[in-house]
Amino acid sequence: MRGNVHWWHGILARSLMAVVGIALLMGGVSSLLVNRVVGERAYEQSVVKLGELLDTVESTVSIAAFVGDEQLAKEVAQGLMRNSELLRVTIRSNERELALAERAPLRVGDGNRAVKRLLYSPFKADEVIGEIRLDADQASIDALVAKDARFTGWLLVIQLALVIAAAAAAMLFLVVRPIKATSDRLHRLDAASGERLAVPESHAKSELGRLVGDINNLTARLVATIGIESDLLRQQVIDQRKYQDLFDKAAAGIFVADRDGRLESFNRTFAALTWLQRRKETTGRWLADAGWQEPARLLALLRDTLADPAGKATRADDFLLVGRRGDERWLHVAVTPLGDGSVQGTLTDVTERRNEEISARRLATTDALTGFANRAGLQHALAEITPYTPPFALVMLDLDGFKRINDAMGFAVGDQLLMLVAGRIRKVLDARDQVARVGGDEFALALAGEQSRVALDARVGQLLRVLAQPYDVSVAGKHDQIDIAASAGIAFFPADGHDLQELLRSAELALNSVQAAGGRSFGYFEPAQQLAVEHRRRIEDDLRHALDAGELHLVFQPLIDLSNGRLAGAEALLRWSHPVRGAVPPDVFIPLAEEIGLINEIGLMVLRETCRHVATWRNAGLDIHVSVNVSVRQIPDGLPPGAVAGLLEQYGLPSDAIALEITEGVLMHNVAAAQTWIEQLRADGIRIYLDDFGTGYSSLSYLKRFALDTVKIDKSFIRDMSADNSDRALVDAIVTMAGSLGLRVIAEGVENTAQLDILRQIGCGYGQGYLFSRPVKGEDFAQVAAHINTALVAGWQN
Amino acid sequence: MALRSPLLFLSLLLMASLAAAELVVVANPRSGIERLTQEDVTNIYLGRYRHLASGLTAEPVDLAGDAALKVRFYRALVGKNLAEINAYWARLVFSGRTRPPHVAENVEAALHYVAAHPGALAYVDRAQADKRVRIVFELGE
Repeated sequence: MRGNVHWWHGILARSLMAVVGIALLMGGVSSLLVNRVVGERAYEQSVVKLGELLDTVESTVSIAAFVGDEQLAKEVAQGLMRNSELLRVTIRSNERELALAERAPLRVGDGNRAVKRLLYSPFKADEVIGEIRLDADQASIDALVAKDARFTGWLLVIQLALVIAAAAAAMLFLVVRPIKATSDRLHRLDAASGERLAVPESHAKSELGRLVGDINNLTARLVATIGIESDLLRQQVIDQRKYQDLFDKAAAGIFVADRDGRLESFNRTFAALTWLQRRKETTGRWLADAGWQEPARLLALLRDTLADPAGKATRADDFLLVGRRGDERWLHVAVTPLGDGSVQGTLTDVTERRNEEISARRLATTDALTGFANRAGLQHALAEITPYTPPFALVMLDLDGFKRINDAMGFAVGDQLLMLVAGRIRKVLDARDQVARVGGDEFALALAGEQSRVALDARVGQLLRVLAQPYDVSVAGKHDQIDIAASAGIAFFPADGHDLQELLRSAELALNSVQAAGGRSFGYFEPAQQLAVEHRRRIEDDLRHALDAGELHLVFQPLIDLSNGRLAGAEALLRWSHPVRGAVPPDVFIPLAEEIGLINEIGLMVLRETCRHVATWRNAGLDIHVSVNVSVRQIPDGLPPGAVAGLLEQYGLPSDAIALEITEGVLMHNVAAAQTWIEQLRADGIRIYLDDFGTGYSSLSYLKRFALDTVKIDKSFIRDMSADNSDRALVDAIVTMAGSLGLRVIAEGVENTAQLDILRQIGCGYGQGYLFSRPVKGEDFAQVAAHINTALVAGWQN
Repeated sequence: MALRSPLLFLSLLLMASLAAAELVVVANPRSGIERLTQEDVTNIYLGRYRHLASGLTAEPVDLAGDAALKVRFYRALVGKNLAEINAYWARLVFSGRTRPPHVAENVEAALHYVAAHPGALAYVDRAQADKRVRIVFELGE
C-alpha cells in the first residue's frame, strides 16, 4: 500500500479539473449563446423602442401629414432625433416629403435597421395619407450589445468561479477529507487485534459510512478466515507429525511405489522386514532390491492393482523373501492404488502363519501313529495322476481280525501292533513306493517298479509273510506275543482305474474277495468283481425306487394247527416284483435293504400292511395271528416297541394278533439291547418267534434267557426228515425240549403228507408249507383260509 | 357628385324631409360653390384645404364655446367630440402654419360672416339658413 497520494492524483484536484473544464466549456458555449441572444434582444428592443417612439408621435405626425404641415413634421422629426439611437427620420405625405432629419449621411447597404409606418388620416381610419420612416443607428446598437455581452460575460465568469469554489469546498470537506482520514486510519489499523474503523463524523448514513461499514465487515470476515486458516494449518502440521510418527513406528512395513516398483518412500519397519538398508535418501531404491523369491509376481501384483479400472481395490498376496544367509521370511503384501499412478503398500510378517499352515497341512495329510500319509495325504500325493503317469500297482492291505484284537486287548496294544506293522511295511518298500494308512487297519501301497504279476506275486507274497511273523508287544507292562496275518488286494494303474478313487475301490474289491475266501492271502482285481458290485448297486437303486413305486408287496403263508387242521395264522412274506427282472428273491434284496439302511422303512411298511390285512380278516371273522419277520438291523431303534403297539392300536388289533419273528443272529448281536427290546414287546403282549431254529447256535439256553414263546424249526430239518434219521431225532428233541420249556413249535417247509405224519407223531403243534398252501396274496387269503377250514379240516385224520 | 337618376334624387329628397332639424353647411352665394361633399367639408374645416374649388380662400366659421350646434356638427362630420377637435387644433397651432376656423359668437354672427365673405362657410340648422347664404351640403346625423 502506498502511503501518500500526490495532490495532482487526488480526488480534489481531479474533480476540480473536471469541474473547471466543464465550466470553461459551458462558459464558452453559453457566452456565445448569450452574445447572440443579447444581440438579438438588443435589436429587437431597439425595434420595439423605435415602435414606441413612433407610437408617441404617430398622431401628431398623422395630423402634420393630414394638413401637410411641414413645420409640425419637422418639429416632430427633430424631437425624435434627440434619441441617440436614431440616425435619420423621414416623414412623407402622399404628395411630398414633409420632413427629413438625419445625423450623418446614410451609407447605402449598411445593413441598418429601419422602421416604417404608414400614416392614416385622423378622421378616416382607412385612408393612408403618408409614411414615417425611422433609421436606427447600428453602431450605437452594437455598442450597446457589446456592453451587455461584456456584462453578461463577467457575470458568468463570477458565477463559474463561485461554483468551482463551492464544488471544491464541498468535495474537500464532504469527500476528500473524510476519505483521507479513513484511509489514514486504515493504514494504522491493526485488524487482527479487533480494531475497527470509525465512521467519519456525520457520515453515518452516507455512502462513505456504508463503505466503512463494508470495510469493517470485510475485515472481520478476513480476520475470521485467517484465524480458521491458521488453525487448519496448525492442525495439519500436528496431523502430519502424527501420521509421520505412525508411519515411522508402524508395526507394518509401509511403502509407496510406482508401477515399476520404484520406491518413493518407506518406513523403518519396511526396511527391517525386507532386510533393506535404510538410508537417508529414499530415492533410487527399488522394491525388487529385496531378496524376493518371485519379484516378477510382486511387480505383477502392483501392475494389476494399477490396471484395475475401478482403481480402488486392494490386492494382496503372500511373497517369500530369501535373505543373504538363506533364511526365509513370508511377507503378506497388500497394495492399494493411491490414484496418482502409484500404490501404497503394507507388509506384514506372516512367516509364522505360513509355517503353521504348512505344518497343519502336513498334520492333515499324515497319520500321526505310523507317520505314513493318511487318506488325504495319499489323495494329495496321487492327486495328479494323468494318463502319462508311469504304471503302478495299488495294494490294499488289511490285517485279518485286527478288530478282535483291538476289542480284546485294548487300543494301546492295537496301536503298538499298528506301529510294528508299519515298521515292517516300511522296510519292505522301495524309495519310489508310497504308503498310506487309509483306515484303522488298512494300508494302501502304491508300488512302482516292475508291474508283472510274477514280480508282484513275489513282492506282496513276501510282504504278507513278513507281516505274518509274530509281534512282540507289551500288555499292561508285561511282554506278550501276537499272531496276526494280513490280506491284500491288488489293482493296476491304469488298467483297473484312472484315478485314485477307482483304484482304491478296485483294490478294495479284490481285498474283499480275498477276505471272503478266508484271508491270509492276496488277490488281483477282476472285472467280474466290478460287475457284481455294479449289479448290486443297480438293484440298490431299484430297491429305493421300488419302495416308492409300490413294487414291494406282501404274501401270506397260512399256518396250520396240526392238532385239528384248522387255520391258526400266517406268516407275512415280502415280495418284490421288479418290472424288468421279475420277482427278486428276498434273500437277495433284504440283505441289500439292510446294507443301504432301507430296512427300517421297509420293515415298518410290512408291519403296517400286515396290520391292515389282519384287521380286514378279523372283521370278516378270521380269528388268526400273523407273524412278521424282523431283521437284525431293525433292532432296537429301527422298530421301537412303542411303534409296534401304536400300529396295533391304530388298526384296533389285540396285541396277540401280530407276532414278530427274529433270528438267533439278533440274540447274538447285541445281547443287552435285544433283551430290553424283547422284554418291552412282551410286556405289551406281543409275541416273539425265534425263526430258523437249528441253523445257528441253536442254544436252548437262549430260549430260556429271552422270553420267547415260539420256535420255528428250519425247513432244512423238515425237508430231510424221514422215519429213521437224525433229523427226525433232532426235530423230536426240539419239540420235546420246547414243550418242557412251555414253548410252541412251528415246523416250516412241510411239503408232503409223510412229513406231516411224522410231525403229528412227534407232537409238533403247528406247521406251514406247500402241503397246506403256498404264500398267497392278501386279497386271496380269505378264500384260501375258507378252503383250508372246510376241505382240509374235513379230511383230517384224527 | 352628380345626381344621375330621378329615383336617387327622389330618395335624397325623402331623406331630407325626414330630417326635420337638419344641419346644413352654407356658403356665400358668390362663392361659386354649388355643392360640397362631406370630404370637402371635413378637409376645409380641419385645415387641410385652404382654398375652395372656385379658387377662393376658404374661410370656415366655427361657433364659439361648446355650442350644441357645434357639438352636433363635428359629431356628424368626423365622429369626434369637441375635446378631440380642440386637441387636434392644439398640435397645429404650435407650428403656426395652419389656422383654425374663424370663430363666431352665434349662428347669426356666423351667417353674417358668411354673407360678408365670399369664401366663408358656416354650419347652421336648415331652418336658420336664409337668403343670404346658399346650402352647399346637408349633413345627415
